[in-house]
Amino acid sequence: MQKEVVDSMAMKRALTRITYEIIEQNKGIRDVVLVGIKTRGVYVAQRIAERLHQLEDAVIPVGALDITPFRDDQPQNAIQNPVAYQLDFSVADKKVVLVDDVLYTGRTIRAALDALMGGGRPQCISLAVLVDRGHRELPIRADFIGKNIPTASQERIKVSVTEVDGHDGIEIIS
Amino acid sequence: MADRYLILEDGSVYLGEGFGSPAVSTGEIVFNTSMTGYQEIITNQIYHNQIIAFTQPTIGSYGINHDSYESILPTVKGVVVRDVASISTNRQRRWSLDQYLKQQNIPGISHIDTRHLAKQLRASGPMKASIVDVADAHAFDQLGATVLTNQQVAAVATPKPFPNPGTGLNVVVVDFGLKHGILRELSKRRCNVTVLPYTATTEEIINLDPDGVVLSTGPGKPQDLPASVLTMIQNIQNRIPLFAIGLGHELFAMANGAQIMKLAPEHHGANHPIREVITNQIIYASQGQGFVVDPDTVDRDKLITTFVDLIDGTIQGLRFRDFPAFSVQFFPDGAPGPIEARDVFDEFVESMQQARGPVW
Repeated sequence: MQKEVVDSMAMKRALTRITYEIIEQNKGIRDVVLVGIKTRGVYVAQRIAERLHQLEDAVIPVGALDITPFRDDQPQNAIQNPVAYQLDFSVADKKVVLVDDVLYTGRTIRAALDALMGGGRPQCISLAVLVDRGHRELPIRADFIGKNIPTASQERIKVSVTEVDGHDGIEIIS
Repeated sequence: MADRYLILEDGSVYLGEGFGSPAVSTGEIVFNTSMTGYQEIITNQIYHNQIIAFTQPTIGSYGINHDSYESILPTVKGVVVRDVASISTNRQRRWSLDQYLKQQNIPGISHIDTRHLAKQLRASGPMKASIVDVADAHAFDQLGATVLTNQQVAAVATPKPFPNPGTGLNVVVVDFGLKHGILRELSKRRCNVTVLPYTATTEEIINLDPDGVVLSTGPGKPQDLPASVLTMIQNIQNRIPLFAIGLGHELFAMANGAQIMKLAPEHHGANHPIREVITNQIIYASQGQGFVVDPDTVDRDKLITTFVDLIDGTIQGLRFRDFPAFSVQFFPDGAPGPIEARDVFDEFVESMQQARGPVW
């Protein structure tokens, strides 16, 4: 069964609110960079960057991270074959906002933190997600949340973005 | 129908035909360009002590129904139209506009060249006007001698707190003469609302432990309100999510150092495109404003401009940089007018939910 819990309007609003909250918490947008986690996190990050550009007339760097080599359920080959730093800008002394679509166990975020290392020492890293569905397995929490959606562990959350899926929305599949 | 006159402070005389109450009345005349929604406009307390001239040529064609009141009793001083519909056929209609104005003791005048009148008022700004039976020197003397009150908020805002219970988030609405649309939209979102008088202190608000505070719409000039209102806003805005509308928006801006100036021509209608800066999206919403935030006095390190009117570039929305406190000049409740701005209420509810944290 599939049920839409957030429509495109509500998703747009959530992104707008997250953008304002990023300005609130970082006391402006000085040194802020956005790093999206592939695939959909990148599009979410780009939309936040567009909004920041509209408001503050500043270009915020947006990076894309592929966390696959850093997953903790993969064979531990990353250590033997170090993966090159993926971003085309340094995060040293930056205020990094990691962006993903769904926050679930927290393992993706842990992997993303690993992937960020090697880019220098950021001032701070915060986390923005469109959906927090609970069931954390690591001590990780989000700073900016689009919507808290309580779920059962056998349910799935599907975030759709126009760029990939042809429409915006968040569905719960059980 | 008897001949009656609309006379203006500058000496103009308009001959028309009376309808509604036969009373003589005086108020400040403004024109409204909405094509529909006369019932909501007439009952909106922002028009307290004012005479409304509608530029839409026919008014009254769907009568008065019990769903569209924006206050319990209207407090406008008169209704000026080109043509008042003698037949109204809407199935929800209970009364004709004529019957309703008679009940409420409000005079109306029809057969006025409202196009000419609107052009005149665009050039001059609002002025004192009377609806009278005889347009002689005596009537003009009376009009000239009338001093209109500047205590409109005190006249229309609730003197006592009252609840509008719901099962959701706890919201305090500070009443400056609110329109029902605000309570209606909060009710739809299941908010548990307490309405407080505009004299409410910071402690009185904090003691109710609200998840959010709304500063309502209202009539008149924001500078006429006591300075204690601004102190209250300054104390609340960094502690509790705040949402201010209309007069509330002007007060929110003043509390943060901006100046309010007279707007000419005023915005009364629902046909101005408004741009939401962050998404570059265009919306329409009903407006009723005689004052505007002076953009040169807005401290950009403190406030972000969130909405801009595309006709004259006026500020239609502000937001505090450091905490979830925001305001809109227009009426987002869509009563009357386009409903696309109702989203702002969802934004407010979601801000409150976020500030409170997840419920699990």
